[in-house]
Amino acid sequence: MPSLPISHTDLFQQVVASFRDVLEQSGRPVPETIDEQTILFGKGAPLDSLALVTMIVDLEQRLEEEYGITLTLADERAMSQRNSPFRTIRSLVDYLERLIAEESGRD
Amino acid sequence: MSIAWLRERMEQWADHPAIVWNDHPFLYRDLLARLQMWHQALDRHDVGTGQVVTIEGDYSPNAVSLLLALIERNTIVVPLTRSVAAQREEFLDIAEVQVVVSFDDDDRWRIERRARPVTNPLTCQLIERGHPGLVLFSSGSTGKSKAALHDFIPLLEKFQVPRHRRVTLTFLLLDHIGGINTLFYTLANGGTVVAVPSRDPDVVCRAIETHRAQTLPTSPTFLNLLLISEAYKRYDLSSLELITYGTEVMPESTLQRIHALFPNVQLLQTYGLSELGILRSKSRDSSSLWVKIGGEGFETKIVDGVLWIRARSAMLGYLNAPSPFDEEGWMNTQDVVEVDGEYIRILGRRSEIINVGGQKVYPAEVESVLLQMPNVKDVAVTGESNPITGQIVTARFNLFEPEDPNEFKRRVRAFCRERLAPYKIPVKIIITDDKQHSARFKKMRRSSP
Repeated sequence: MPSLPISHTDLFQQVVASFRDVLEQSGRPVPETIDEQTILFGKGAPLDSLALVTMIVDLEQRLEEEYGITLTLADERAMSQRNSPFRTIRSLVDYLERLIAEESGRD
Repeated sequence: MSIAWLRERMEQWADHPAIVWNDHPFLYRDLLARLQMWHQALDRHDVGTGQVVTIEGDYSPNAVSLLLALIERNTIVVPLTRSVAAQREEFLDIAEVQVVVSFDDDDRWRIERRARPVTNPLTCQLIERGHPGLVLFSSGSTGKSKAALHDFIPLLEKFQVPRHRRVTLTFLLLDHIGGINTLFYTLANGGTVVAVPSRDPDVVCRAIETHRAQTLPTSPTFLNLLLISEAYKRYDLSSLELITYGTEVMPESTLQRIHALFPNVQLLQTYGLSELGILRSKSRDSSSLWVKIGGEGFETKIVDGVLWIRARSAMLGYLNAPSPFDEEGWMNTQDVVEVDGEYIRILGRRSEIINVGGQKVYPAEVESVLLQMPNVKDVAVTGESNPITGQIVTARFNLFEPEDPNEFKRRVRAFCRERLAPYKIPVKIIITDDKQHSARFKKMRRSSP
């Protein structure tokens, strides 16, 4: 398997940065610790749909600007996954890795 | 002769300047002499009733007097300018143009024939009436350009009512209903049209100063550029009495800034469509976006929040698209409006409304807020489809100074949080060097690829 243009750790950090930004910019409290288990969206989550969309678009732009990775994160495919990729930080990082691996496999 | 009344008027003020072109005034007497010259030239070239003739030029004395001669000869006039050079052949074909008269920068002209019969039923109908015609192409910012065919006689009828004699800067050209309106309003009242070689704010301000222009008909986009450039600081604009704005929604913030800068200048919103002509209008006051529109020959009604208009000066129809009129002659303008008694406030084109999770966002309202941010030169707001909220609000910015994108995003959201409902705050924020307006100084709200 070819190595990805972005490491797992960097990807995690980008997701956390986007999450933190959207919480701060929408005036929501930022949890003390943000880790892989942190819930993003769904029951008991800090983001509403508008904030989630903002975070996703922000993340897409970061990956494009900083790593040259062009992805569409929110599409029919993401919406039709049995387990929502937007549930937790981990599920989002995993889903991103899968998308990026598919993209780089295509080149 | 279909416009005998206009010629009589023009003869009354023979020694008054009609046009200022290349900074040089040309008297009404001069225009009338050129008009005679044109009739002889057009006789020689066999250009007459029922032919379709293009004028490629701007407000030069020869081009303007040719326009008058062509109306008097009952031809169908298709004014084109350089800004549509890329679509020139297409436009000539759509209008079935038979004669092209083009002007160079020194106002010298060249005439060219095209072997092309008129087959369009609408054009044939107009030719049968024996009336002069006018074809105007829409800018096509929202699709392909549509060609509106007008009977020139009802279009010019309203100018028979005497109004103000003014020195007016021409902002829009002859290929635009606003440009045609400015020209004939001016000629019918003995005023002076000041033509400018470009729409650069410094060029425009210099012309206002030099020729003591009283009226500036313009667009909100230009007024925003005027603010950005600060060109108003470099010239004496004290002759200005009236600024009119139209063709797109005025951002509230731009209007307030212009009003603060020019407290003694009347600010008037105009409303017109190339399909219908320009309505008479009255803004509630200079700092208000509420406007009363109508006037002799125009009827308005609001259906489901959308403005409909019926006009005596309406076009016959499009040469290349189905008629937009219903059986009773009403046209849906697609402009969504708010109503307060006799006044309306235009919110935006129905097609440009952004739907975020079922809530409506008008681009102009968001732009108006964003334009107040420091370091923001211009901004265009559009909708982009998104599977979660249906659409998202996207804002494309031009900045004065480069800025870190992430830092800028933070700044935008912080600024918006106190001023806009959450669903109106831009989700996608793009910094670009691309111009955000068209050659006609109208904001382009391109959707993303």
